[in-house]
Amino acid sequence: MFPFRRTLFFVLSFSLLLGACAPATTSPTAAPPAAPTIAPAQPTAAQPGAVAPTAPSQPVKEAILRVGWASEPDTMNPLTTYSTEAQEIIQLIYDKLLDYDSSFKTTPTLAKEFSYSPDGLSITFKLRDNVKWHDGQPFTADDVVFTYKLIKDNELGQYAQWLVDLTSATSPDAGTVVLTFAKPQAFNPGLVIPILPKHIWSSMSATDIETFANDQPVGTGPFRFVDWKKGTELTLERNSDFWGSQPAASKIIYILYGNEDVMAQALKGGDIDIITEVPPTIWDGLVDTPDVKAAALPSFSFHHIGFNVSAEPTSLGNPLLKDKVIRQALSYALDRNQLVQVALAGHGKPGDTIIPIGITDWHLAIPADQAMDAKPDKAKEILDAAGYTDTNGDGVRESKDGKPLQFRLIAIETTSVDVRAAQLFRDAAEKVGIKLDLQTLDENTLGNTVYNTDAPDWDIFVWGWDSGVMDPNYMLGVPLCSQIGGNNDVFYCNNEYDGLYDQQSTTLDVAARKQIVDQMQKMFYDDAAYLVMWFQDKLQAYRTDTWQGWKEIPGGLVYNLTRDNYLNITPAK
Amino acid sequence: MLRFGLVLKKAVQVIITLFAVITFNFLLFRVLPGDPIRLIARAGNLSPEAISRLRDLFGLDKPLVTQYFYYLRNLFTGEFGMSYTYRRPVIDILQERIANTVILLAAATVIVVLIGVAAGVIAAARRGSKTDQSLVVTSLVFWSLPTFWTGLILVILLGVYVKAFPVSGITTPGASFDSSFARLLDLGKHLVLPTITLAIVDMGQFMLITRSTLVDVLTEDYILTGKAKGLPFRRVLWGHAVPNALLPIITTTALYVSLVIGGAIQVETVFSWPGMGRLMYDAVLRRDYPILEASFLFLAATVILANFLSDIMYMVIDPRVKEA
Repeated sequence: MFPFRRTLFFVLSFSLLLGACAPATTSPTAAPPAAPTIAPAQPTAAQPGAVAPTAPSQPVKEAILRVGWASEPDTMNPLTTYSTEAQEIIQLIYDKLLDYDSSFKTTPTLAKEFSYSPDGLSITFKLRDNVKWHDGQPFTADDVVFTYKLIKDNELGQYAQWLVDLTSATSPDAGTVVLTFAKPQAFNPGLVIPILPKHIWSSMSATDIETFANDQPVGTGPFRFVDWKKGTELTLERNSDFWGSQPAASKIIYILYGNEDVMAQALKGGDIDIITEVPPTIWDGLVDTPDVKAAALPSFSFHHIGFNVSAEPTSLGNPLLKDKVIRQALSYALDRNQLVQVALAGHGKPGDTIIPIGITDWHLAIPADQAMDAKPDKAKEILDAAGYTDTNGDGVRESKDGKPLQFRLIAIETTSVDVRAAQLFRDAAEKVGIKLDLQTLDENTLGNTVYNTDAPDWDIFVWGWDSGVMDPNYMLGVPLCSQIGGNNDVFYCNNEYDGLYDQQSTTLDVAARKQIVDQMQKMFYDDAAYLVMWFQDKLQAYRTDTWQGWKEIPGGLVYNLTRDNYLNITPAK
Repeated sequence: MLRFGLVLKKAVQVIITLFAVITFNFLLFRVLPGDPIRLIARAGNLSPEAISRLRDLFGLDKPLVTQYFYYLRNLFTGEFGMSYTYRRPVIDILQERIANTVILLAAATVIVVLIGVAAGVIAAARRGSKTDQSLVVTSLVFWSLPTFWTGLILVILLGVYVKAFPVSGITTPGASFDSSFARLLDLGKHLVLPTITLAIVDMGQFMLITRSTLVDVLTEDYILTGKAKGLPFRRVLWGHAVPNALLPIITTTALYVSLVIGGAIQVETVFSWPGMGRLMYDAVLRRDYPILEASFLFLAATVILANFLSDIMYMVIDPRVKEA
């Protein structure tokens, strides 16, 4: 027995030792011989890119832009993606007919010029000549017509919302595309829809496209797709056949970090050149770092408090919230500046109307004296006047028929700023005699609770919106009656508002449109179905010693609706 | 040595358990409140038609029983269905992640068990000494450290200040390698910090288990006999005492593998290791059922297999178990 056991033990320990060999090779003593081959791992801070690893004696300089991000794209398929990260890559690989420059003016892209017909119903695009797809095929008007029809006919992805009124897409000649709509389009969809190569996409049905991973995306844009190592990095290279001027970056590598803390350390250490977005606490830690510039930029986003104002009898929300006075009182009770200071650590602006402050040309600011904000006395005054008083002395007001002003409040537990804001909101409401019971949920559960159109069983939530376009249509379009069952998260329905929406979305004159847009913002603000809490800043940071020429514009240096920064930055020194 | 019938009986138990897990996984995620399509629809402002096409595509509009059979079919074809988020077969997505997690896990387990057991043997052999006391205290302190925090401290000490090892990922971004040896070396370097983190936090349990078992064994009469025969202590310790203390260590190892496959998620997060952790976290938030089902099946299978193997090891090591 014993000899056997001893043998077994030795066999066991030997196999353990064998296994141990693998990690043993990672000891520091083994590292030096291999150091040249992995030179890019420790680029010196002064170099933007890395030295070509194969020939250390004769370095071939590559200008590599290294971007750190903390979450990955979902897919490279523009028609099935719903992530900011994928949008970022897709806008570099694919071109649209038109694009935004760094001051958000429309700039020619695949279309060298465009014009509206006198009745405003059709837009004619003159296309650029000699544009090539990344696979060498020539780009033609057929590709444009194909893309628009594909999206319109099959209602594919997020772009379909911009083509609801499209009636035809034609190409009278090889260099021209005409889009015709049922109504004039104040927002030009040429600014958002990426043009896909017909020779690759035309063989697929709508269902095929929904399950198409697009592992080798082919576009006409300034960068080509190289590869995507899932869970680690995604690489793009400069498109030498690009129709525009060549960007200085020969490669862009997006590096995935498991958390923002380590990402910030990597930026400090010079492993990356720019980080896409970090939370306030981490951003504050980057402010005084040498050779790093921390940028806080206005965003196209806001967080809001939403009330269930559904008029349907099936709604399980507290019917008291259908009374505008209570919602307005809650708006008066809320101190938005306090929310920004406490919940956002100061990184944002107090909220008012529904178009984010970063969409500078369209946002309507409410003057402080007219704002329903931080005036708890006013809140008490209008509640008293409407007959909501505390009749039983429990600190909570009651309606005339004795119903307490007590509501359920839900927020997303992982969005810590929202939870903090919800707590402050609860305390502010309590001071004016309204009781809120806070519960936190995960985002998916909250979304499903809020959007339960059949029987919405909730009173108040805290959530947020990002506008994906530099245009009022998207945000103003959320609280439309027709969006109940769609994006309308508060079941607000006001026919006058809807009428104004149709009017502004078909008004091509910018000044006239702005007037209607302002009117709508004021109307929705007064109805207080939303309390926009804040417009948060987009918090980013970049190294100043590797790349220069970053433009700090609303929406962010990267992760923006314009790709201008990628095209115009140059290696430092 | 091994009784075949007993192994077969255990194997059948494993299969039954796995099937129960498969069914449970299906129900578990569908009982969760939430809906895979709702947030996609909000992000893309999808029309009702587009939403219903997605539901149809994923089979979400079918009765639960039908969905269950789809799920079983996808499982047995080895494709595990298609991810709602990434729109590709789950098996493609999981393969690489599982491989990465297993690499990390294998490295960590070997180091943790070796160091832990060695420290335990040393402590037990010198029971009551300064060495013993300091080993016990160190183990307890390390065992109490939060994994996440330990990882971050290592990142700052060894990654940022000393710059000895890469702090994130599994390969150097943008690097091209001359040889597969260079590639392996690069992987090895990236393994160092996550492995050390797991080793620091987890070796304590092995040290303490080994020590306490060995201390018991060392009081047995046959140890005294061995010493009385004039055998050198080293021989008594390694030849007679340690083999008899192995059983609890094997149990702990099996439990450890089961635990760390879930617990490695924290280390994966700190060191941006492209393993299962992040994938599962995102999948829960997005209610990506196919990914969740496949990942949880993998986790459950690992636990069950680790236990199965430890049962078999028991039979090999301890003759008494065969009679049971």
